[in-house]
Amino acid sequence: MNCAEATTLLSAYADGETGGLQRYSIRRHLRACRAFASRHEELVAQRGQIRAEAQRYSAPPELRARVLATLDAVRASGASRAPARPTNDRWRWLTGGALAGCAATVLAWVVGTAVLDWRAGENLALEAVTSHVRATVGDRLIQVASSDQHTVKPWLSARLDYSPPVRDLANEGFALIGARLDALEQRPVATLVYRYRKHTIDVFVRPEPTPSPSSPLRPVRGFNVARATGSGMNWLAVSDVEPDTLSEFVQRLARPESSP
Amino acid sequence: MADVSRFEELVLPHLDAAYNLARWLARDPHDAEDVVQDACIRALKYVGSLHGTNPRAWFLAIVRNAFYDWLGRNRPAEIVDVDDDTIEATVDQAAVDPQQSAIRSAELRTLSDAMAALPLQFREVLVLRELEDLSYKEIARVADIPVGTVMSRLARARELLRRSPLLRAIGGQFAGSER
Repeated sequence: MNCAEATTLLSAYADGETGGLQRYSIRRHLRACRAFASRHEELVAQRGQIRAEAQRYSAPPELRARVLATLDAVRASGASRAPARPTNDRWRWLTGGALAGCAATVLAWVVGTAVLDWRAGENLALEAVTSHVRATVGDRLIQVASSDQHTVKPWLSARLDYSPPVRDLANEGFALIGARLDALEQRPVATLVYRYRKHTIDVFVRPEPTPSPSSPLRPVRGFNVARATGSGMNWLAVSDVEPDTLSEFVQRLARPESSP
Repeated sequence: MADVSRFEELVLPHLDAAYNLARWLARDPHDAEDVVQDACIRALKYVGSLHGTNPRAWFLAIVRNAFYDWLGRNRPAEIVDVDDDTIEATVDQAAVDPQQSAIRSAELRTLSDAMAALPLQFREVLVLRELEDLSYKEIARVADIPVGTVMSRLARARELLRRSPLLRAIGGQFAGSER
C-alpha cells in the first residue's frame, strides 16, 4: 500500500471501519512512514477534541413539554377526536395529522407489537434498558449523588443483602456520579451511575448466582448493553456510549482491584 | 393511543439526540425546535412500523428528512446539489452568529464554530459520527447515501475542519502544531 492509498483510508481506519487486510496494510505503513504517522496522530487528536469540546445540544425544556403535552392530548382524546388546547396553531395542525396516522396504526400495533414485546420481555437486556430509560426520562436517575465510593457503597449495602464493589474511574474518563436502587427480574439491584463525556451509563451489579459466560454486547432499542462477570458479581452496563468503549468499561469494573 | 406509549418508550428517550442533530443542521435554536416537532409527529405516526432497527438511528433519519423538507420550504437557496469534489474548502461565514462574533474576539472562536461552518453534507456526517456515535452503516441509512460516500465525506469533513481558518485563528489546533 502506498502513501496515497493509505491516506484515503486513514479516516475510516481511525473510525475502526476498515477491513482486516486494509487495517494490516495501514498499520504497516504507519510504522514505515513518519509523515503518515503524524497525520494519523493529528486525526486522533482532532477526534478527541471534537468529542470533548464540540457542543452537544439538549432539547430545551419547552420543546420537551410541548411534545409531552401533545402525547397527553393524543392519549386523552383517543385516536378519533382532536386534542384539547394545543399550545400553538402550527402544533395543532401537525397534531391533527398525527391523529389520523394514529387511528390507522392502532390496530396493527396492538396485534403486532404486543406479541413481540411479550417474547422480548423475558430478556434481561431489555429489562435493563427499560430501567435505564425510565430512570433517565424521569428524574429518579440518582438517589444518592456522590462521586465518593465511601459514601455510595454503604448507602447501597444498607439497602441490599449484598455489598457491591464501588469504584470511581474519573481518571479514566468514567466519573461516578451516584447510585440508585433499581429492580431486575423482580429483585432489587444496585445501580451505579457514571458519566462518560456527556453520556450517562447505568451499571447494574448483582451477586453472581452461577459463573455465567460473559455474553457479547448487543444493541437494544438504540442503547448498547455490555456484560461482564468478576469480583463475585455480575455486571451489566447500559448506555448510548459506543459499544467497544462500554464493553471495555464494564470489563474494567469487573476486574478485581489489584492494590488492596 | 397505543402508539403514544410506544413513542414514549422507543422515541422519546432520544429527544436530546434529535434536537442535537436538528440544531447542528439548522444552526438555529428555534428552527431546530420546529424541525424536531415535525419529526416527532412523523415518528408518532410511523412508530407502529418500527421493528428490529435501532430506534435512535430511525428517529434521526426522520429528523434529517424533516430538516430537508423544512429547508426546502424556508431556505431553498441553501440546498446545493453539487458533487462533493467540487465543494471548495470554503468556510460559510454566515454560520458564525454575528452577534456572538461581535461579542467574542477572534481568538475565542471555538471548535463548534468551525464545525458549524462546514458545508451541510459534511457537517451532517461528522455530527452523526462524532456526536451521535453512529456506525458508517447507520450513517448511510440516516443520510440516505452509500457507505462509500459516508467514508469519503467524513474524510473530507475532517480535512476541511483541519484547515479551517476559524481554527487557525486560535493557533491552528490541529494543523499548526508544528509551526
